[in-house]
Amino acid sequence: MTDMTILIVDDIEINRAILTEIFKDEYNIIEASNGVEAVEVLNGDTKISAMLLDLLMPEMDGLGVLREMNRSGQIKSIPVFLITAANSNEMLMEGYNLGAVDIISKPFAPHFLRSRINRVIELYRHRNELESIVAEQVEKLNRMNQSVIETLATVIEFRDCESGEHVKRISGLTNLLLTQVSNTYPEYYLPKAEIEKIALASVLHDVGKIAIPDGILNKPGRLTPEEFEIMKQHTVKGGEILQTIPEIMDAEIYEYSFDIARHHHERWDGRGYPDGLKGDETSIGAQVVAVADVYDALTSERVYKKAFDHDTAVKMIRNGECGTFNEKLLSAFAAVEDKIRRREWLAD
Amino acid sequence: MALLDELRELGSNVDEGLERFMGNAALYERMLRKLPDTVKKTDVGGAFANGELKEAEEQAHALKGATGNLSVTPLFEGYTKVVDLLRAGQADQAKAVYDGLIPVQEQVIACIERSE
Repeated sequence: MTDMTILIVDDIEINRAILTEIFKDEYNIIEASNGVEAVEVLNGDTKISAMLLDLLMPEMDGLGVLREMNRSGQIKSIPVFLITAANSNEMLMEGYNLGAVDIISKPFAPHFLRSRINRVIELYRHRNELESIVAEQVEKLNRMNQSVIETLATVIEFRDCESGEHVKRISGLTNLLLTQVSNTYPEYYLPKAEIEKIALASVLHDVGKIAIPDGILNKPGRLTPEEFEIMKQHTVKGGEILQTIPEIMDAEIYEYSFDIARHHHERWDGRGYPDGLKGDETSIGAQVVAVADVYDALTSERVYKKAFDHDTAVKMIRNGECGTFNEKLLSAFAAVEDKIRRREWLAD
Repeated sequence: MALLDELRELGSNVDEGLERFMGNAALYERMLRKLPDTVKKTDVGGAFANGELKEAEEQAHALKGATGNLSVTPLFEGYTKVVDLLRAGQADQAKAVYDGLIPVQEQVIACIERSE
């Protein structure tokens, strides 16, 4: 006896008894005498491998059970055979449309019935197994994706002589701010999954710094105009580096990382770099990372400066001392300022 | 005479029925003994008399399924005709077939009840 269970649903006991007799040696059997009972069994703890379902029944008929299974999604994983004494093609058609796999006609022919149902159960078992393997692999791929991205980000930080926390803070802040912007302004709405992808992609915003000479990247004093021109190139270089490795990343995360690496120094008035984009020519994702990056730079100690406190940093951003930003973005920033001050976004 | 032999004489395809019950004659007989009750729970004649043709069709349909599975061939064939005629909208012919079926049905039920 296997651990597989067949649910037999028919209001006539004689019909249930025959089906039970046919399958009882190979399967566990649960009987239900109407649709309501069947749905109760389906919602219970026993995993059902197949259901044999009569169409005409009191309480809830077979089509009602099928509708319920469509609503719950169970129709995808449990094969349903309609029991019928033929005739009503309309009902059978509707049953098929609701996802039934096959028809059992009365009077039953045990040997055919057995081999047909065994085969379909085996097929579904195999399919359900494959689906769970695929889901596992996708999960593994996502984890790998994330670890590749995080590894890259850590490499950059090493070069940049930073603590290693900068990119984590940028990612958390991007998530917090973008969620607020998306919830407040319909024109910037993004689904949660997209916001998470953008937050993950944001950790690569400074990947181009790998290509900047140490002497400039870690110069304790002010950069000369020539040096600053070279420093600005980290945006373009970042885009170029990402272009060489698109296949190691999820396509969408690649798009977001490229956009953010290249455009996180653009400004609302068009006076940023490298492309001088104005207003919403810069994506909302890159705009948010720009603010997050500036805030984090201000409140962190760098080789060339001390850390500013939260209030000073916010005032400097407000006053446009770090370039101009989207007003809506600044309002969203103000709305979650308390959370930012308390560093709540670091919690997760 | 044994129940299965008597039913065979009344035209039932007992061999086919046995096969359906996986050769389990005891279970087959036990299920045959449920037929009288199953029949008595329905009232096809009453449904006809009240002009409830949909109800008559559903009950005849259920009996067709049960008698088919039990291989009580004369009843199965009769109820198949009743259902088909009702579906075709020929209520009068359906009623006539049903009326002709009643004595056969009574004979089968009497035979099953006698054997208990």
